[in-house]
Amino acid sequence: MTRSRVIVIFAIVIGSMAVHSQTLQAGDSLHVQVDALVSTHSDFQKPSAITDDASFLRRVSLDLAGTIPTAKEVREFLADSAPDKRTRLVDRLLGSPQYARRMQYVFDTMLMERRPNKHVTAEQWHAYLKDSFLQNKSWRQLSQELLSADGADEQSRAAARFLLDRELNVDQVTRDIGRIFLGRDLECAQCHDHPALDDYLQRHYYGLAAFIKRSYLVQDPKTKKSSIGEKAEGDVEFTSVFTSETDQTAPRMLDAPPIIDPPPGEQLYTVKPEKNVRAIPVYSRRLQLAKSITDDANRAFRENIANRMWALMMGRGLVDPVDMWHAQNPPTHPKLLNLLADSLLEHDYDLRYLLRELALTDTYQRSSRHDTPDHDLSSNRATTFSVALLKPLSPEQLAFSMMHATGVAEQQLAVAIAKQEKTNDPQLALDPIWQEEALNKALANDTKVFVNLFGFEGVQNTAFDASADQALFLRNGALVQRWVTQKNGLADRLNALDDNAVAEELYVSVFSRLPDADETMFIDEMLDATTDRKTDLQQLVWAALVSTEFRFNH
Amino acid sequence: MRRNQDCNGIDHLIARRDFLWGSAAGAIGLGALSSPLNAAALQRQQKRVLQIYLQGGVSQLESWDPKPGTQYGGPFQAIPTSVPGIHISELLPHTASRMHMLSLVRGINSKIGDHRQGMLFMEKGRRAGDYPYLGSVVSKYLAPADAELPGYIHISKRGIVDSTAAFLGARHAELKLLGDQAPANLASPNTIDETADEARQRLRVQFDRRFSQQRSRALTDVYNSSFEQAEKLMKRKAMFEGAVGEQDLDRYGRHDFGRHCILARDLLENGATCVKVTHHGYDTHAENFNFHLEQLGEFDKTFSMLLDDLHDRGMLDSTLVIVYSEMGRTPKINTKYGRDHWGTAWSVAMGGCGIQPAAVIGKTNDEGTEVVEREVDGGHLFHTYLSALGLDSTTDHDVAGKSIPIGDPAAAPIEELLA
Repeated sequence: MTRSRVIVIFAIVIGSMAVHSQTLQAGDSLHVQVDALVSTHSDFQKPSAITDDASFLRRVSLDLAGTIPTAKEVREFLADSAPDKRTRLVDRLLGSPQYARRMQYVFDTMLMERRPNKHVTAEQWHAYLKDSFLQNKSWRQLSQELLSADGADEQSRAAARFLLDRELNVDQVTRDIGRIFLGRDLECAQCHDHPALDDYLQRHYYGLAAFIKRSYLVQDPKTKKSSIGEKAEGDVEFTSVFTSETDQTAPRMLDAPPIIDPPPGEQLYTVKPEKNVRAIPVYSRRLQLAKSITDDANRAFRENIANRMWALMMGRGLVDPVDMWHAQNPPTHPKLLNLLADSLLEHDYDLRYLLRELALTDTYQRSSRHDTPDHDLSSNRATTFSVALLKPLSPEQLAFSMMHATGVAEQQLAVAIAKQEKTNDPQLALDPIWQEEALNKALANDTKVFVNLFGFEGVQNTAFDASADQALFLRNGALVQRWVTQKNGLADRLNALDDNAVAEELYVSVFSRLPDADETMFIDEMLDATTDRKTDLQQLVWAALVSTEFRFNH
Repeated sequence: MRRNQDCNGIDHLIARRDFLWGSAAGAIGLGALSSPLNAAALQRQQKRVLQIYLQGGVSQLESWDPKPGTQYGGPFQAIPTSVPGIHISELLPHTASRMHMLSLVRGINSKIGDHRQGMLFMEKGRRAGDYPYLGSVVSKYLAPADAELPGYIHISKRGIVDSTAAFLGARHAELKLLGDQAPANLASPNTIDETADEARQRLRVQFDRRFSQQRSRALTDVYNSSFEQAEKLMKRKAMFEGAVGEQDLDRYGRHDFGRHCILARDLLENGATCVKVTHHGYDTHAENFNFHLEQLGEFDKTFSMLLDDLHDRGMLDSTLVIVYSEMGRTPKINTKYGRDHWGTAWSVAMGGCGIQPAAVIGKTNDEGTEVVEREVDGGHLFHTYLSALGLDSTTDHDVAGKSIPIGDPAAAPIEELLA
């Protein structure tokens, strides 16, 4: 942005401040403060309206519970006239086992980027993440566990997956800690100070690497299980491929001072390194990493997670891509990001708190429709959050939502409950946590098909994409066809209804909203003209499931 | 500040002389595309890539850089080719008589003796990092927006799908065909006839029309275009599933590689931008000579037929042909008559679009143990391929948040190889 433009916009802001005359009170809830900062941004334009109840319900159910609401939930929410029903909905979702499951998927994808399981089973890892979110473990604690677990005992095994399944490869782990925990991709700084970005330096990269350089994988000859050992010595030296200058660094967290090893005592090791033996040093640099990265002094740690949670809810990071924070790609709303990061710190990294506040903002609750039909598509409204952004459903959200819409999920749950009721613990079938677990298990195989096709392994910061084989799968694949034609599923249910009730049931079940008059008329006309009602209803269900309206959270 | 993603910085990406087709290769919705004049120009100048990947690491000594009669030369002789002064292995007689269409790079030192890392270096032109493969880059910048097939198609017998597009996105990822098997889900479900299928497509479009009113189309266009691509593949079902002509089989050979190359030719002729065919079986740690006799016997005739067809159909000038491996093989012959992994001194062959024909660039010493002249690696080759196609490989990919050099800035094209 040129300087003159900044000045012009600045003048406009001063003008518009008078209009948005709400002054911030220190005691205001975070969501009020967020909206004030968004709406006083210099580029902010006339925002779209607050979205209607139905689309709010769908949006927040997908974001916080990982799936679309049931037809029953839609009808109940629309019928509820309480003024605080949105807040109550958000609280109900955040307290549900579905929230923990949703966060399990979100953090699995974020932390492991869909790598195959090597040293830790998917079951162990998923259970660990899900339990962490059921207990609402703080992000600080979760991070410390992930970075300090050595995997030597069953208790710490799952948490060690972040390091174990990267084979503790120093370059891979260093880069991923930078990206995933600090929002900074230091890859180029591995070989030289970044040529284009002044703020990624080789010492940043090697300062991080020095925390883990002494750690290594040891395989137990009997169990064949690998765990993490660490040596007590060894420094990191690096040479620029451009200047050939060599430097050395102790562990350091970005620009924080280096952490010098304590003077060595008589004993360097608690357990000495030997063949097939997991060495344990008296002083561990790796344990220092967990401490330093989560230290209050390290702003990058809380800014990164605040930005990632913002992106999860709003569809775009304040720094975007979320792992590309540098001087040439600064936050669009620096004050806002500071506010979110500092609030997280004040609330001891309670992610449930942050997500709740974000869900309650007007910014989150805006419509994804532009108000004027002649909206300018090239405008930068995406970066101002004056209109809600479309968010593509994750593979898991898409599979779950399709199975809920078609009635497959409901049937599977009924089967699981009936089975449990015949055991000697029939009461368990009433437990919501058990039910969620049972349903997730029943849907796991079909969900996996979606993950394999719609997910991808590797850095997860690319924009939405769709490939031909995905479309072929949706269009012609046996799985979606099976759901569409499911016995006693949605199409059968629609077929049992009178013509005039079909449109509403279809729209409520698939699109989680009521149809408008035009849409109802369209369905009515179609039914009037049909010669094969059952098949045509199946086609209708299919077309709705693969529609853009269904593919995105909007 | 976020850049306009629709622009792709295409104007500075494409070498000036080829601006016209380059700009047409940009993202969907560039107004210029709708003009029939440009569409015709595009058609005329459509450039393509054919990659023949000899998986496992073909021996340079049994192919492009024979050293008969020397310590490590092995049992095979070198034969003259259609280019005076160039000799290649006697295992490639058909290719030898077409040498005037090809050129050789004999001075590759990639320093990698590992299948996966070597392959990634050759595909990405980078030793490490999340960069797109050559085929994805070509799909991104050369595939016309209205192409009738996906931009990057890989025919292979093995099923692992590589993540090839990096930040360029799934539209430019390889579409993997398992041999000459058609892509999965190419046929409509049995219960749905053509009329019904059309009807449900109309319904899908109808739903989209309602939804897209007053909403940004940036993401919905991407989603809808995947259905259009799927439709294209379904329309080409006959090509994927049709019987291969007897005459073609007689010429190309009645084996997998023969069938794959016939399919590759048909795909290139039908609008694919990059087609890669993998020929497996060159990892000859034991019985190197017998295996090369067998494998190259299959390769030689088939590849020559494909080269002839591209030439006869007037496509060779606009199709860059690359024959490569992830590495070469050790000069030293091991105790099992095998040759092992070797990244120190080996060769690739290329020809067609933008490549000076009948050239030999680089040289190894008499025993083939090191490069003595014009040493290059995967970085140089990557630049060279793109330059041959008229793309300026020294400019940047323009993706959100950062600019990424297309080719490794530490390497450069092999200028003397460019036509």
